[in-house]
Amino acid sequence: MSVSGEVAEKLSTLREASAVALRLKTVQYFDAIQGMLDRFAMKKNLEVVYVTTTIPAQSILSALEVLEVPMDHIWLVDCISQIMMSQAKQHPHAIIVESPTMLENIMLKVEFLLRKHPDRSALVVLDSINSLAIHNNTKILSEFLHILVNNLRARGAYTVIFSMLEYETEDIRNMLVLVSDETIELGD
Amino acid sequence: MPTKERDAGERERCVTGIDAIDHILNGGIPRGNTVLISGSVGTGKTSMCIEFLIRGALEGENSLYLSVTEPTDKLLMNVIPFDFFDDKLAKQGKLQFVDLPKIYQELGIDKEEIDFEQARLLADTIAGMVENQKIRRLVLDSVTSVCYRIKDQERIRDFLLRLGTVLSAKGCTSLLVSEIRSSEEGYSHWGVEEALADGVIVTGNLERRGDLLRTLQIVKMRGTTHSRAKYVLDLTTSGVLLVPLLKGGSVTGGG
Repeated sequence: MSVSGEVAEKLSTLREASAVALRLKTVQYFDAIQGMLDRFAMKKNLEVVYVTTTIPAQSILSALEVLEVPMDHIWLVDCISQIMMSQAKQHPHAIIVESPTMLENIMLKVEFLLRKHPDRSALVVLDSINSLAIHNNTKILSEFLHILVNNLRARGAYTVIFSMLEYETEDIRNMLVLVSDETIELGD
Repeated sequence: MPTKERDAGERERCVTGIDAIDHILNGGIPRGNTVLISGSVGTGKTSMCIEFLIRGALEGENSLYLSVTEPTDKLLMNVIPFDFFDDKLAKQGKLQFVDLPKIYQELGIDKEEIDFEQARLLADTIAGMVENQKIRRLVLDSVTSVCYRIKDQERIRDFLLRLGTVLSAKGCTSLLVSEIRSSEEGYSHWGVEEALADGVIVTGNLERRGDLLRTLQIVKMRGTTHSRAKYVLDLTTSGVLLVPLLKGGSVTGGG
């Protein structure tokens, strides 16, 4: 089975309000995004808030364009462009957080976007815990994940937390266990 | 609903409409309280106050904004374009903006310093507007500017006491904006304002590892139990949003 098919199928078995750790290899990254956004979220009619702390929103937008994923219900919270001082083009579906260290502001932007679409179920994607761990210490990152995930759970939203296997540490694994209901690990 | 009936013994609430603040205050500001909104520049005081008024007006409560520091035309040009704002509110008179300097002019207050009698006259005039127009929510932005002209602490005390008493008796919930420097101790320039207010909400800037976060903390609110924790604030077109300040990181500096 393809990576995108596998992701979509595994996510489809979850109940609403689940928090999922998605453990994947770097080479599976874009296929996993496609499976999650194009197949799972579309089928479930979900509003997607995609928090990127790994690569700029512009790169994700370009990839989604190539993959022909419709953007109507996808919103990006870009936490990396500003800190990289990159000349990001403004996109109506992307909002900026100054730095991945501004964890409270990430929560606020997610809240803002969810409030804009109160009638639709939501999927919130955190891409990725590894890059968040570069910029934040374990204590504050655990606290952030705990508050965010519980808040999303209370709203009935799905949460998917990306973890790149190549960059996982013991601390990251512990954090994922703490906040996730399920772990999905993709096959080779 | 702007008004929330409580269990026997609990005070009626003025539901601000800012969800997080109502949540922190267990249902809203006790009706008739005079609340100091204290903070340095750019921390969201005015936006929060305007949202408070618009939310009230949308629920049918007459709301009045008294501007001291800048003409309302200029203020409205720079205010956040809230999604929930409705032009009809101003046309229907539910939401009014008045420049206080015009009231000074009408009252013949033309000298730099406001004397005892003029301060009383000003308080009575504002109280009269509240009574005649059945105002349920009032914002004075800023009380600091008014106090600068009253100057004397005793006169300021008399003015605030008189104003607060009348507004409270009329069931008008009021927000008085207090401008302080970030380095300033206390919550008001003259010290009198915070002592007389029923509530104090402090907005600030918190620097953490080079990031500047807007914060909000409810320090005091008579008539209700409430959290005194610090929150991080965002000013959005959906209104003021708050989340708890994370404590896990190393925090330097106050806010």
